[in-house]
Amino acid sequence: MAEHAAASPARIWSMRAIYVVISLGILLLELLPQQTMPRTFAGPDMILLLTFTFALRRPEFIPSGIVAMVMVLADLLLQRPPGLMAALTVLASQTLRNRSDGVRTLPFTVEWLTAALALCGVLIGYRIILAIFVVPQAPALLVLSQLFSTALAYPLMVLGCAVLFGVRRVAPGEVDTLGHRI
Amino acid sequence: MAQDRRQEADYLTPLRRLLGSVLILALFGLFLFWRIDSPRVERFRAQVVDQVVPSFDWAMAPVDGTLNILRDFQSYTRIHKQNQELRRELQQMKAWKEAALQLEQENARLLDLNKVRLDPRLTHVTGVVMADSGSPFRQSLLLNVGARDGIVDGWATMDGIGLVGRISGVGSKTARVLLLTDSSSRLPVTIQPSGQRALIEGDNSAAPPIEFLEAPELVRPGDRIISSGDGGVFPAGLLVGRVAQDPGGRLRVRLAADFERLEYLRVLRHLGTETIQDPGTLIEPRLNGEEKTGVDLSTREGVDG
Repeated sequence: MAEHAAASPARIWSMRAIYVVISLGILLLELLPQQTMPRTFAGPDMILLLTFTFALRRPEFIPSGIVAMVMVLADLLLQRPPGLMAALTVLASQTLRNRSDGVRTLPFTVEWLTAALALCGVLIGYRIILAIFVVPQAPALLVLSQLFSTALAYPLMVLGCAVLFGVRRVAPGEVDTLGHRI
Repeated sequence: MAQDRRQEADYLTPLRRLLGSVLILALFGLFLFWRIDSPRVERFRAQVVDQVVPSFDWAMAPVDGTLNILRDFQSYTRIHKQNQELRRELQQMKAWKEAALQLEQENARLLDLNKVRLDPRLTHVTGVVMADSGSPFRQSLLLNVGARDGIVDGWATMDGIGLVGRISGVGSKTARVLLLTDSSSRLPVTIQPSGQRALIEGDNSAAPPIEFLEAPELVRPGDRIISSGDGGVFPAGLLVGRVAQDPGGRLRVRLAADFERLEYLRVLRHLGTETIQDPGTLIEPRLNGEEKTGVDLSTREGVDG
């Protein structure tokens, strides 16, 4: 179980605030009435990507409660069935969080693959559950394009998070403020 | 002095896991609740949107403005070409304007001759588009008019030329417009001049297909499509667009409204279509007791119903 305390409480809470603020910013940009024509290609789901990046790199910055809050808000604002995408994302981020210990010593490609698999799990699981509950769905091609673009955008998100907010993987042997090995 | 942090946290792990599962179950329960009692949750959603989106407005307006300016800047690069195009179009428009003026006069004359009465109750509320659906899978818009402006679910929305969609979800300050291109949008239409009835089914593409057409051979690309008013939800006679044929031979609508730039929309007040319920009874001369039968029908037209 990830119970890192690599940073001081102040940093942890500021990073949690940053996560929430970035998510709200992404929602705001998505809601801007700039795209009123139907698209044939769906861009990456940035909030999902942000959540996975944090969950794999610094899980202590995003407790499940905050992820759930952000995702439910996104569900409500983006006209998705409320709760389902949130539940799947929380589930996936918990799985990734449990794996973050093992992944951090492995090369980046493995981390990327793990994130991509989690994405597949969330988006395909979402479709399957919607199909079980007979909810009308988006065209499969559009969902596939979103899956691919999101998976491809993962390195960019990692880079952005590392450069802008210092969300790096914890190096083996690094110690926290209390001198504990993490 | 380093010691393993994980040992300390061991007693926390089961608790954390339990809380996580409870959270996931609660979220899934929300989804189930939505599936069972959708109207209640959708009302809640409308309230949340009503609270959240207008409070974002201070941030959205400048960003939106900046993006629009950038987009306009892009068009400066091909300004010469555009200018020539505009001149050419202007030439054509002048010819059209002449034709339109003549037709308008003729139309007014004919309407006068026929004593046609246009529906005086068809008025509109104009709203500004605040936000779009935000996801590539839904096609909807958020207007800044809502229940306090008298907006009611189901009213038609136009952009001044053609139909855009219908109101679906009203908050007190905002209302959501489900666009004709959304995959859950269905609109009964009439195709002129053949008078064929059909249904326009949104499918998340820019040109929705025309379905349930009885005699497709009577319909040609270029025919006008207007709303038929079947079902009583929409007023009849609103322009939707023109028929077009895609490479696969399927008939689609080229929408008249400019979906590229939807900024101001009109919501048409629709106070219900009056239906004629009386099948019409026998018309007979009014007979008073003392009057003789055999009245001359030219003076007396008793229309009792």
